[in-house]
Amino acid sequence: MQDRAHSIWVIFLSFFIAYLLAIVPFPEWAMNYRPEWVPMVLIYWTMALPYRVGIGSAWAVGLVLDVLEGSTLGMNALALVVVAYVALSLHQRMRMFSTLQQSGLVLALVGLNLMLCNWLQIVTGQSVSSNLMFLMAALTSAVIWPSLFQLLRQIRRSFDVH
Amino acid sequence: MFADARFGYLERIRFGLGYITTPVYWVADIPTRVSFLIDDVFVSRTDLLEENDDLRANLLIAQRELQLLESLVSENNRLLALNEATRGINGDVLAAEIINISPDPYSKRVLINKGAREGVFVGQALLDANGLMGQVDEVLPLTSWVLLITDSHHVTPVEVNRNGERALARGSSSTASELELVFVTQTQDIKVGDGLVSSGMGQVYPKNYPVAEIVSVFADPGQDFATIKARPLAQLASTRHVMLVFNSEQAQTSVRGAADILEPDFPAVEAVIIDSVDASTTTADQIPQAASDAAVQ
Repeated sequence: MQDRAHSIWVIFLSFFIAYLLAIVPFPEWAMNYRPEWVPMVLIYWTMALPYRVGIGSAWAVGLVLDVLEGSTLGMNALALVVVAYVALSLHQRMRMFSTLQQSGLVLALVGLNLMLCNWLQIVTGQSVSSNLMFLMAALTSAVIWPSLFQLLRQIRRSFDVH
Repeated sequence: MFADARFGYLERIRFGLGYITTPVYWVADIPTRVSFLIDDVFVSRTDLLEENDDLRANLLIAQRELQLLESLVSENNRLLALNEATRGINGDVLAAEIINISPDPYSKRVLINKGAREGVFVGQALLDANGLMGQVDEVLPLTSWVLLITDSHHVTPVEVNRNGERALARGSSSTASELELVFVTQTQDIKVGDGLVSSGMGQVYPKNYPVAEIVSVFADPGQDFATIKARPLAQLASTRHVMLVFNSEQAQTSVRGAADILEPDFPAVEAVIIDSVDASTTTADQIPQAASDAAVQ
């Protein structure tokens, strides 16, 4: 019981920090290169603890992100649910992957997340970019993934989250 | 999701979730506040004295301008009373601070640290020291999102200060912070350097606040309309201190709107509305009286 309370606390804190990083103001030119922290943290937890963090958590996480970013309620929730679903169905294989392969998968998943968000913005008639520069965030996310993975694994092991 | 985009009965859910998200904004804002604190604490005496002198000089200039303005306002009121026109809106302001900007580079929105608790309402105008900034787009309990005038979904009704030529200033669709004047015919008299003020049409913005300055006019004979670009006067990217405008008419709807969200049956609201109606009628009565006083003098 004690362990369970512990683990939930660490997961909440990691998402809180991801939210912070997601809304901290960036210079104008760097906006497109901001790594997608929340999807990455979500991918990590679905991969490491698929029985704790799943599609329901992804939905809740996405709703809070929507309110934070002031986007249409449900946009990030839907995109993150899709990402969580793919990550859940691949989590056994992802654990076997090398760091480079994992980065490639994160590139694809974050790219999927960005594409979904962009598409949903177009559908709901919001202003969107006219070029594909917004996908650069997937690239920066993939570059950062190995270090984030190491960091979160250290945290998970030292706090014995399970 | 479509329920939120198309209908809006999810407003309450958003409002509730706003309580959860407030701590995130609060923490994200800590670095800025710490840097302001450091600026405040570690400042030398000579700097303070210099700043004090500067401020005093500025105050003197501002007071002089205020004196001129007061005489102009009374003159204007007299003239308007003669014409039986409506009076310019002269509302209260509420100081606020910008605490965050939208993470999406294509939507130009900022977050301010005043929300439903302070009586902020959707459609309220936001100003900084230099000009109009935008209007409140979404109200959360302790914070609100403001749509800037440079957002491509935002159109500001403006008029040229020099000759009263009316136009619509739409936000640029690129990431640049500029306005485009739409549907201006090639023969309309608008020149580079002209100042644009809010025209008060659409009844969202108060009248006569400075909005922008024309930076380029391009009349292509093959096009129906001229391509006119303007630079907003407000420091959209760098300012932190802003003002929310309350004027008497909008305040009534705001009290109603806030009460709707907070508590559906709020008995004090009616009284407040009636009070403000009384206040507005008395001020309206006073204008002709002031005019007649002036005539006697």
